[in-house]
Amino acid sequence: MNNREQVIEQLKIGWTPTEEVILKRRSVRMYKKEQVPEFMIKRILEAGRFAPSAGNGQPWKFVVLREPEIIQGVTETTIKICKLFKSLIDYRIPGKRWRLPIAKFNIMLKPADLHPVPFGAVSLIADGKLGLFHGAPTVIMIFKDVRGISNPDLDCGIAGQNMALTAHSMGLGTCWVSFAKLAFQYTGKWKKRLGIKYPYKFITSLAIGWPVGEPDGIVTRPTHEVDWYENGIKKVVH
Amino acid sequence: MANLTFSEKRRIPLYDDPSQVECGVVEFDHKKCSSCGMCVKICPASTLEMIDKIVRMKQPSECMMCSDCVAICPEDAIVAIRNYRYTGCYKTIGLGELQAPRL
Repeated sequence: MNNREQVIEQLKIGWTPTEEVILKRRSVRMYKKEQVPEFMIKRILEAGRFAPSAGNGQPWKFVVLREPEIIQGVTETTIKICKLFKSLIDYRIPGKRWRLPIAKFNIMLKPADLHPVPFGAVSLIADGKLGLFHGAPTVIMIFKDVRGISNPDLDCGIAGQNMALTAHSMGLGTCWVSFAKLAFQYTGKWKKRLGIKYPYKFITSLAIGWPVGEPDGIVTRPTHEVDWYENGIKKVVH
Repeated sequence: MANLTFSEKRRIPLYDDPSQVECGVVEFDHKKCSSCGMCVKICPASTLEMIDKIVRMKQPSECMMCSDCVAICPEDAIVAIRNYRYTGCYKTIGLGELQAPRL
């Protein structure tokens, strides 16, 4: 047997280490207080640095936050904005039914942001039931360079996933946190504090830390229709 | 959300309309469960509760089937039964059944 045949035989009976990391990655929402060693975060950044991007433009800026004061501050600002939104459009509270038309108007303007899921999260964050970074000791924020060619948002996503998978391969936990965008979109405080200005725009952030318990594991997921074209025939596989 | 006409936008259901999402359902094997409470602690939707050492889903549940509880359970006592689905004008197109990764 040549090398390729051996590889194929191996694949039939088990996952590759990379696949295992991908399949077992869960969004970790509870972290130990203990800080992650600096060299591990630097290795994670290396994985981001080696991500593919359109025209190798690397249209991103990573900001590592390991100061509890900043992480807590961004969280508090986001909570304030969530509270403000809630006080404007949450009509479910007794006596606040008059907010209904305001809510309807806002849903028309921003249907994707006011779907039950994001709005539910806004409510939970405003009420302090859902922590923004879940107590993670390190946060990597990803900003895009808006001058980036083609699709810089996608490039940032690819770099982020490289970093997330690397972190899980080291036994760390991660969670994507895009809600922090509120703190950059609606206030200037943290942009100023972190020196973020044109051409950088907040895309998302990754909470990183040692997980409580062993959250990574294989679970079920729904299948999704895939169109498959071969030999002049189209079939749909799941 | 793209390509909605004005009248379609007017008919977008409200954020607390239960017809917009179909929540996930997990089932507990109470024989295996050791009542460690890990699942309750980590549930991001705060939709699990433990009363008298018996864990269950709150009703109405807000489970989005992140499957964190299934994965973290040290006794493998939690099974995902029904997936979380976006419905109405947010409906995910072409979804199938829940399946574990296939070799």
